[in-house]
Amino acid sequence: MAVLKTVLYLLVYPGILFLFVYATFCEWFDRKVYARLQNRMGPTHTGPWGILQPVADFFKLMSKEDVVPEKADKILFTLLPIFGLAIVATAGLLLPIWHSNEAVVRMISFPGDIIVLLYLLSLPTLIFFLAGWSSTNFFSTIGGTRVLTMLFGYEVPLFMAVLSPAILANSWRLSEIALFYQKKPLLILPNLLGFVIALISVQAKLERTPFDIPHAETEIVGGTFTEYSGKKLAFFRLMIDIELVVSSGLVATVFLAGFPGGLWLGLLNFIIKTLFVIFFLSLIRALTSRIRVDQVVSFAWKYLAPLAILQLLVVILIKGLLL
Amino acid sequence: MTDIELMEKLKSFLGDKIVEMSNPGLRRVFMKVDPRNLAAVAVSLKKDLGLWYIAAISGVDVEDSFEILYHFGHDNGSLSVRTRIPKADPHIESISPIVPGAIFYERELQDMFGIIVDHIPDPRPLVVPDDWPAGNYPLRKDWKYERPPEIIPGGKQ
Amino acid sequence: MKFTIPIGPQHPALKEPISLRMTVEGEVIRDADIRLGYNHRGLEKLAEERTWIQNIYLMERICGICSHSHTTCYVQGVEKLMEIEPPKRGLYIRTLVAELERIHSHLLWLGVAGHEAGFDSFFMYTWRDREVVMDILEMISGNRVHYAMNTIGGVRRDLDDLQVKKILDGLEVLKKRTEYYFKIGANEPTFVARLAGVGYLSKERAMDLCAVGPTARASGVTRDVRKDDPYAAYDETPFDVCTADTCDVLGRTVVRIKELFESYKISEFLLKSLPAGGIAVKAPKRAKPNEVLSRYEAPRGENTHYIKSNGTDKPERLKVRAPTLANYPATVEMLRNGFIADIPLIFAAIDPCICCAERAVELVNARTGEEKALRFSELRKLADERFKNPSLKRNAVWPF
Repeated sequence: MAVLKTVLYLLVYPGILFLFVYATFCEWFDRKVYARLQNRMGPTHTGPWGILQPVADFFKLMSKEDVVPEKADKILFTLLPIFGLAIVATAGLLLPIWHSNEAVVRMISFPGDIIVLLYLLSLPTLIFFLAGWSSTNFFSTIGGTRVLTMLFGYEVPLFMAVLSPAILANSWRLSEIALFYQKKPLLILPNLLGFVIALISVQAKLERTPFDIPHAETEIVGGTFTEYSGKKLAFFRLMIDIELVVSSGLVATVFLAGFPGGLWLGLLNFIIKTLFVIFFLSLIRALTSRIRVDQVVSFAWKYLAPLAILQLLVVILIKGLLL
Repeated sequence: MTDIELMEKLKSFLGDKIVEMSNPGLRRVFMKVDPRNLAAVAVSLKKDLGLWYIAAISGVDVEDSFEILYHFGHDNGSLSVRTRIPKADPHIESISPIVPGAIFYERELQDMFGIIVDHIPDPRPLVVPDDWPAGNYPLRKDWKYERPPEIIPGGKQ
Repeated sequence: MKFTIPIGPQHPALKEPISLRMTVEGEVIRDADIRLGYNHRGLEKLAEERTWIQNIYLMERICGICSHSHTTCYVQGVEKLMEIEPPKRGLYIRTLVAELERIHSHLLWLGVAGHEAGFDSFFMYTWRDREVVMDILEMISGNRVHYAMNTIGGVRRDLDDLQVKKILDGLEVLKKRTEYYFKIGANEPTFVARLAGVGYLSKERAMDLCAVGPTARASGVTRDVRKDDPYAAYDETPFDVCTADTCDVLGRTVVRIKELFESYKISEFLLKSLPAGGIAVKAPKRAKPNEVLSRYEAPRGENTHYIKSNGTDKPERLKVRAPTLANYPATVEMLRNGFIADIPLIFAAIDPCICCAERAVELVNARTGEEKALRFSELRKLADERFKNPSLKRNAVWPF
């Protein structure tokens, strides 16, 4: 029975099936908001209000011809999408939403899980780099190096921004951080700056405008994904969607007091708060133009990193004076 | 500068290099020079008259010779310098070292008429493919392109 | 490490085939080379076998965006050859369509620039508003792309009062929207960061390389055929030549937006002082042996046609120089020492119209030098053969 429960847990809820459904829904939401901001309709055709369009896209890609370049490292090239999907799905399990029973809590919630989550969210970047590099295409190679260059820009501000609420809550455990802010909601306010920094860094991590540099289509065609097609591309796209859900879940957990209220209310909380974060991400995407990779690094180190340090200082001061 | 001013200046700077000169319409001046003097004329036009802008180079196939027209533009009209080279020995001096913007027109001239532009900085073909069959110059009057007969699938031959 | 990346002939940044070969070192471009010839249709040769009237429609098809530019340039040359003078009203309508075309072309360019810079919202907005002027053009001429307004001796369609009113209303809308775009183009920080200082072309180099149109004007070269060599109704129309001195892509954007305002002004002036009378005179069939140089300021820069007649109803020679060809040498200069990320922007900033710049060769198979027509059944056979082979066998030689 316990085995069955674990399998159900991994495959259905909150495992891959739920993540798949919710990730495609989030992609639809993002696309719809983006389209409405641009005076377009967005997806309308598949399902009510086009809600099934991302699912349709996924299955369409799954049925397309799958081409592996002659000169590519075939094993690495094939394994990368699967690894990537596995990594982000694992990261999804660490979010403190699915804590319906104690056994599960003991398994996936532990002190320091915020660090593990951040680490798991950094791995996709390396996957993208390897994907670009192993394709042996000029455009992919340039895309791959751009992925790494950008990593040096946004990763440090993201870590510092996410750690500041953890310092204030005096815990490295996601569920405890969420619980702390549920008890003292006013303390969310000092972290507002961190919230903005985290939003921008997450935007960069997800490689969305203005940071869609590694796959800037007008410059380097598909960038890292130039040579990917068919099932592998479908996996990568699903991976990016799940990464969007997990990153926004992380931001919602540490900055917006998590998802209280048991199984059903908690789920509702999760959906509302992640969509809130995704809305902001879509807003940034619609309002900016793509910047150059050198501008990303200088922007991150000139503005984001100092502001993140300022945020840490504020948190430490508050902690010393008030708590 | 007006047409009359331009023509007076041309006369004073170029002198006997001008074979003939006409003013067929408002803001249009046509001038004929000897192909051997072309480079010297281009230098003089750019340095002395300030005609830095070349609008186009037209080649015309006229019976047994090629007529090449260099159309210069200035801030109140245009000047066309005409020169004529024999078809048997189609050589012309390049003006691209003097007016760098002329390079594409000269390359086009080479491709289309088979005129050999001497001392051109970049002699590669511009508009025809690299393996274009030699001796085919599309804009010569005797060049005819015969389209192969169209075969309708399943139809009569 | 230096390596060459091919931008084109097929690339998402290019809407038409051209090959830019970039030698890059890391993210920096060290050298650039332009290769043309993917889009040749043999129009100059073809024009020698068509009558004067047929050639109008041939010239229209040189390019879709500046279709009116090429016909006007051609038609006013032929009018001089035939020694006829079109009536005032015809000239005014011709100029009006030219300015509306400039508006539509510049709005299109703004959208393309936004898209190349990854600013898709800007692209969607400008192209939505471009529909206003497209509708106006459709109302005047019945067509959205090839207006077919020009004929030798005037224009083919007249304007009535209702149309004039509708055009003025449309221009009012566009004026407001353009002010908004000017604000975005000059203030949106990420957009400006992408445009400022990119694709530098100094005034001296612009003059050396004979750049034309907004590219030259953004480098501070005050050259505009409408002012220097007025044609149609421009000698009676008050307007300013817009220039900028930043010499970069931002300057080219600003010049184009300023020109939009000038075009609104010109169109309004033309509509308000539209003279009465006929719109066209009858043209003879033949032209005396003569030659003429016709110049026209297209949205992208100066358009030059050299026409030579030989007394028959066909031209002896028709040379077309489109503005894009004149801007290619300057583009190579601008691309050098730029970033890879700036290639699409710099290239788009000359508003390239590749099909304009290429007109002159017939269809010939590049490999064998002869055209080969494949039967449909042969094609089927080829497809079947490919289908039977395993699809992953990518090194298979294409069976031609």
